[in-house]
Amino acid sequence: MSRTASWAWGRSDVLLIEADGKALFAEHGIPVPAGVVVTDVVPPLPGDGPWMVKAQVPVGGRGKAGGIVRCGSRAEVEAAVARMLRTRLKGHSVDACLVEQAAAGQERYLAIMVDAASYGLRVIYSAQGGGEIEQSGSAQGRLCPPHPGAATEALAELIADEPEAWRAQVAAIGKALAEMLLERELALAEINPLFVAESGCVAGDAKVVVDLNAVGRQPRIASLIAARPAIYMDACRKLAEGFDYVELDPEGEIGLVTTGAGLSMMLIDELTARGAKPLNFCDIRTGQMRGSPARLIRVLEWITSRSSLKAVLVNIFAGITDLGEFAGLLAAAIQASPGLRVPVVARLVGRNAAEAQRILGEAQPGMLVTEDLEEALARIDAIVGAAA
Amino acid sequence: MIGSLSRTTPVIVQGITGRMGRSHAALMRAYGTNIVGGTSTRTDMKEAAGVPVFASCAEAVLETGALASVAMAPPEETWAAVQEALAAGIKLVVTVAEGVPLHDAIRIGRAVRRAGATWVGASTPGLAVPGECKLGFLPDVCLNPGPIGIMSKSGTLSYEVGYRLAREGLGQSIWVGVGGDPVKGVRFADMLPVFFDDPRTKGIVLVGEVGGTEEEECAEAYARLGAKKPLLALIAGREAKEGVSMGHAGALVHGESGTLASKTQRLTAAGATVFGSIESLIDRCARQYRFDKR
Repeated sequence: MSRTASWAWGRSDVLLIEADGKALFAEHGIPVPAGVVVTDVVPPLPGDGPWMVKAQVPVGGRGKAGGIVRCGSRAEVEAAVARMLRTRLKGHSVDACLVEQAAAGQERYLAIMVDAASYGLRVIYSAQGGGEIEQSGSAQGRLCPPHPGAATEALAELIADEPEAWRAQVAAIGKALAEMLLERELALAEINPLFVAESGCVAGDAKVVVDLNAVGRQPRIASLIAARPAIYMDACRKLAEGFDYVELDPEGEIGLVTTGAGLSMMLIDELTARGAKPLNFCDIRTGQMRGSPARLIRVLEWITSRSSLKAVLVNIFAGITDLGEFAGLLAAAIQASPGLRVPVVARLVGRNAAEAQRILGEAQPGMLVTEDLEEALARIDAIVGAAA
Repeated sequence: MIGSLSRTTPVIVQGITGRMGRSHAALMRAYGTNIVGGTSTRTDMKEAAGVPVFASCAEAVLETGALASVAMAPPEETWAAVQEALAAGIKLVVTVAEGVPLHDAIRIGRAVRRAGATWVGASTPGLAVPGECKLGFLPDVCLNPGPIGIMSKSGTLSYEVGYRLAREGLGQSIWVGVGGDPVKGVRFADMLPVFFDDPRTKGIVLVGEVGGTEEEECAEAYARLGAKKPLLALIAGREAKEGVSMGHAGALVHGESGTLASKTQRLTAAGATVFGSIESLIDRCARQYRFDKR
């Protein structure tokens, strides 16, 4: 489990793997190197070498982690692919490699992203591309309204000093990038490095962050995500189930059935600070259950599939939900989960909490049902301590 | 607009004949909010939750003089709902839908700014002036009039904080759920002047989360505006799985932002206090504000 938290999670941003980002690039007229996606045996390679072999994981910094290798021959490509596939890179399993013709030219940096504070776009360009771009201090940005024309104008200012030999090509790529970002409702479209040369400019990499909230009207994005359930696991689960469940630690001891992203995160923080090992993050959205225990049964099934499990903590703060109804569903879900062999502690607060205590008291005698979070956490401490 | 909300502020509910709209209109009325009507595309219902139903915001505003609206629209229809509200002259629009598409949020933000209105959302449980009114669905059990201003990205975590404050006999002056989406209406930093100017507010509680840059922006604004009232922060996500990488663009624009370390460091440097647990935040509030019960 990674501890370098950054940006949002449990939310709607999804970083596409490079191959999918480049597929979108190609569809929007942005030149990319000829390449093939390899998941097993290496097929015939495009053109002559050298080639780049690149691990397809949705995370930055692959080059420094050894996930990008330049190869001069087919034998080297095969060896590099064999070395990368079925390994883990920066916390992600490598299920595919992109093998493509190595591009040539000078390296530049080009990105367009949504700028939250100004309700617009930010166009960023640097005459020095590559992995050390933050250190080079050469990147320049311009804010503009969310229109392709405005982004094109902003980029024109940023590249004004670049050689005329290929400046128009970069401008065209920038225009295509802005159109793609707006048409596909992306959060970010980044090319680093962008290889520039008189003979042609080409995107060496693709970082595309899509908005899961827009997939209902973005069938192309939906199809990209659906095509790779192993790589986009959390996103696929969210789209299929309508709620968030993220496994944090396959050897976790405390399964969480909780509502609300913020409170679930805080519970994970507090459990960890007490020395407990949470298994998962969960925002189950009781309001969408509509009288069926199915969603609770699903979550209990995922949680109980881990043999390290020692307890389940249910924490529901019901502003709206009738806790009496929820308690009935929880009791039904527990009875329908034969795999559940550890104690369940329920902290239920809000509307109709007393009725919930009564229902669960009858259905599950011995189960702690409380309105007090600290009491529930203390019981979890005791269970984990006793189990250890 | 937020600072002057009261039990007399006229409010409409867009989508009042739906399941959510009906139930929350009734709950808001029961709390004391001056719900003066609602809108719906259904022509067969003239009344819902005890108030008149209008065909459009324009008609509702004309008939009732509504100033604020709570839009109970699905995420993909929220943009249209906001357009309708703004065109009718609504000055405060609260959008509760979770999952509003990012680019719709940009459109909403630009339109609200152009109209000179205020937007709370997307993805907010709403806002409240406890003892006066609530717009949205903040649970009554958490609301208690008092000296503490609350602003929060997370609904449920703020409920937990509000509930525990209320149990300690403490309460809130103004409570705004800014929502957890990156592109939104009112941001943490926007709330600081409101709290500073509000005589009821003695201290401010910020309930944040890892990700984004709002806590950092708020720290910068807090220092710039002169730290006029204590700012107490609780930030969830210390153990969060690494978020979606925003590439080099994220780092280029915002530097080292988004992490708990960055938020804690910037808030502390600005003079705020950051707490590691709900309990420790509540303890501090209890010590500091127990003689300030309203």
